[in-house]
Amino acid sequence: MAHHIEGSRNSCALHGALQVIGAIEGAVPVIHSTAGCGMQHHLGITRLNAGNDTFGGPSVSSSNISQKHIVFGGGSRLREQLKNTVKIIQGELYVIVTGCSTEMVGDDIPAMTKEGLEQDFPVIYANTPGFRGDVHQGYQLTIKALIEQLPKLGKVAEPVSQGIVNIWGIVPQQDPFWSGNLEEIGRLLESIGLKPNLLFGNGQGLAAWQQVPEAVLNLVVSVWGETPALLLEERYGTPALVLDALPVGRASGRMLQAVSERLHLDTRRTERVIQDEENRLTNHLAALADTYYRSGFQREFALVGESAQVVGLSEFLAGTLGMIPRLLIMTDNPPDHAKEALYSYLGSCVEGYGTELLFSEDHGEITDRLRFSSVELVLGSALEKRVALKMGVPFLELSFPLADRVVLNRCTVGYRGATTFLEDLGSALLAASGHRIQEAS
Amino acid sequence: MSLLKAKSSLTREKRFDTLNALQGTLASFEREFSTKEPVKRTRTFSQSSHDDLLHALRLLAGIRESVIVIHGSRGCAAAGLFYHLTFAAGRWIVTSLDERDTIMGADLKLRKAVTEAHKRYKPELIFIVATPVVAINNDDIQSVVDELHEALDVDIIPLFVTGFASHHAVTGYDIALHALLKYLGGKRIEHPADNRINLLSVAGHNDDQREAERLLSVFGFELNTLPDGASAKTFRQAQRARLSISLDDDSSNYMGICLQDEYGVPYVEAPRPIGLGATGRWLAAAGGELGLEEAAQTFHVQECKKVKQSLGDFTLKGVRVYLGLSAATLFSARDLVEELGGEVIGITFRYIDHRYKHRLHELALMHPALPIHVADGQPFEEVNIIKRLSPDLYLGDAAHLSQIGRLGIPVVSLEESPILGYNGLICAARRFSAALRNRSFTSAIARSPSVYQDAWLRRSPNWHIKMEVK
Repeated sequence: MAHHIEGSRNSCALHGALQVIGAIEGAVPVIHSTAGCGMQHHLGITRLNAGNDTFGGPSVSSSNISQKHIVFGGGSRLREQLKNTVKIIQGELYVIVTGCSTEMVGDDIPAMTKEGLEQDFPVIYANTPGFRGDVHQGYQLTIKALIEQLPKLGKVAEPVSQGIVNIWGIVPQQDPFWSGNLEEIGRLLESIGLKPNLLFGNGQGLAAWQQVPEAVLNLVVSVWGETPALLLEERYGTPALVLDALPVGRASGRMLQAVSERLHLDTRRTERVIQDEENRLTNHLAALADTYYRSGFQREFALVGESAQVVGLSEFLAGTLGMIPRLLIMTDNPPDHAKEALYSYLGSCVEGYGTELLFSEDHGEITDRLRFSSVELVLGSALEKRVALKMGVPFLELSFPLADRVVLNRCTVGYRGATTFLEDLGSALLAASGHRIQEAS
Repeated sequence: MSLLKAKSSLTREKRFDTLNALQGTLASFEREFSTKEPVKRTRTFSQSSHDDLLHALRLLAGIRESVIVIHGSRGCAAAGLFYHLTFAAGRWIVTSLDERDTIMGADLKLRKAVTEAHKRYKPELIFIVATPVVAINNDDIQSVVDELHEALDVDIIPLFVTGFASHHAVTGYDIALHALLKYLGGKRIEHPADNRINLLSVAGHNDDQREAERLLSVFGFELNTLPDGASAKTFRQAQRARLSISLDDDSSNYMGICLQDEYGVPYVEAPRPIGLGATGRWLAAAGGELGLEEAAQTFHVQECKKVKQSLGDFTLKGVRVYLGLSAATLFSARDLVEELGGEVIGITFRYIDHRYKHRLHELALMHPALPIHVADGQPFEEVNIIKRLSPDLYLGDAAHLSQIGRLGIPVVSLEESPILGYNGLICAARRFSAALRNRSFTSAIARSPSVYQDAWLRRSPNWHIKMEVK
């Protein structure tokens, strides 16, 4: 039985579905629920992710069901809404997503979708009531719907590329850097001769999704990518490569090596690419060294975020940047088997530092743990800012929700992400030491 | 019957025959409201919009020393993140109902959440906010309230919002205000009024509230501002105030009426103090009730002089303006545009009801052909209308303003910027001026592709508004 949560940051399955659909060009969500569901998403997620407003506000097609639909059923309202959405909103694919109320009433969504298909509407559906889980389940449910139902819509004739790699596990908006992160992983894969299929973001439309079955590999970068990869393995026999975390800095080289090995690519080319990237990162680190020593960058830190992000960044912070991991909090509720794997992997990365690990999405619990942690630096979401200020330590906002920063195309993964992360972290540390000077004068 | 005896407030549909779907001219609107009961319309296509749950949460975010327990599935608390990171620092908890809870009920979970919130934070007030799920499966919130109020000795206030019983999100304000007064107002005690004025401010901007306080300070009374920034004490002492005056009659009317009917605190109805004329009338209304007309007048004259000096030669002369606002804001903003020399060429009310029929009548005499539209969060219609009218400036308070900007029309949002009183006017004028002087951002985003099909934009904007079939 799910427990109550204070200050939840993982929203609900319907919202996860909206994030998936909103990140696919030409895909249009049709919400079948009460009027406020789409607005909750706009306020609680899009607005706390400045720079992620795909639709120009909360203007998502929504059946906005009322009392009479609760009593008599809302199927006919959905039929009307779908028919008119296709006429009003530009799109190549319409995705019906359901909220709690229409699921409780028992509206027959597959039947309504079938009716739409019979009228040649490109329509699929996903049952995504909030009571079925959080934003991550919404991501998985919607991707499952896309994988299973898109082939029924027929195939766009397009030449199939060789060496396609699908990337799974980055939840749009829940990872505020999703767009830049996907592009950076894509850039790295491209550099070793592959054709990355990012699936979300700029230029990622229906054609990208129709290429999913053609991939030679499914690259899984977080626990949330495992379900789509498993499904694709079952349906199409595509192998999967599961990473331990989002790769940041040198871990990106290991990712490229693993992919090369799995796909029997030219290892010399891969090693050359890695060497170039490593040299670049080393130069950036060396250029920072004076500031690093002078301003005392080495700190005991706490990091709060999604598991793949926490593991990836901690590995970089502890393994390359000389920071001391004190408290790592993962907020995305991974399933139990994944928690064990995360414990064991993360444990090995931070061995010897007495690091505390915690899985929690409860804002009260997270705040208490931070308050009593005696760390010297907090990296987390806008929810952690207040306690960091109270503790008087530098703070960097880098996980969802964001309140004080705009992210459009920044990334925190790969080699470029390692550098931008260094810029952000260094700026936060310098700004904090600047405050001390002002206070002293 | 006393309003507060009821379990919850009535919906706006039942209280005022409020409409949220209509399109026509001012003359046709006036006929609709003056000769008969307005006919309810519905839409055959709609876009997501606010609901009563969201408005209730927004209002509660401003109450101090409180914990909000949202009894529902997890997404119903999503907006809590925004409200609390943006406006307030309070705590909110969601009971996070799962599939089993929706079938078996989850009273126990609610009890546990309330008990733990009390144990952990010892708040002055605990709110329990219902959601669509519990409105459908009928969880017995009231008995949890009654039992835990006794057991924990803390005020526990239930808000029976549903997300679907009303088409008007503003009903959520009424439900929240009803609950606050019902549980905190106390019994009516006969005593002379004390030296306080209730300033009713719902989901207002901090600067606006400060400006209103500056305005009212001219009368020498102490202010009791609620519900924004209020604590339990503020509500308890509201019944002894000399009068109540609102910053926005649309959102706080229910509270003004309740305080008047239940406790005999006169409710001064006045226009929203936007622009010099309306601010003067607002101040005069308060002054009139207190017998201090002269003080109000003197202050108004002084401030007008300062404002005019500060505005310099700024004018909206020759500027064609479209307004998309809630009714109380819209009528005052319309006056402001005219004061500044501009011309209002079209209007979208978020909702409209018969309380405004006199204003509609007055306006219809002057501008019978003015295009009018009523919609809460239906940008597909607004975009269609605005594309035809092509105004020079759009003033609005909705969350979909970027869609208007994408049409290449300069936009000023009144959602989170001060506009009330004399200082608000100066601030607003600067924003109007900037929007008109430099349109480069709007031009840049106008290149992004339209969300809507061309076929829709060629259709009549009222195509999807139909008479409701009962």
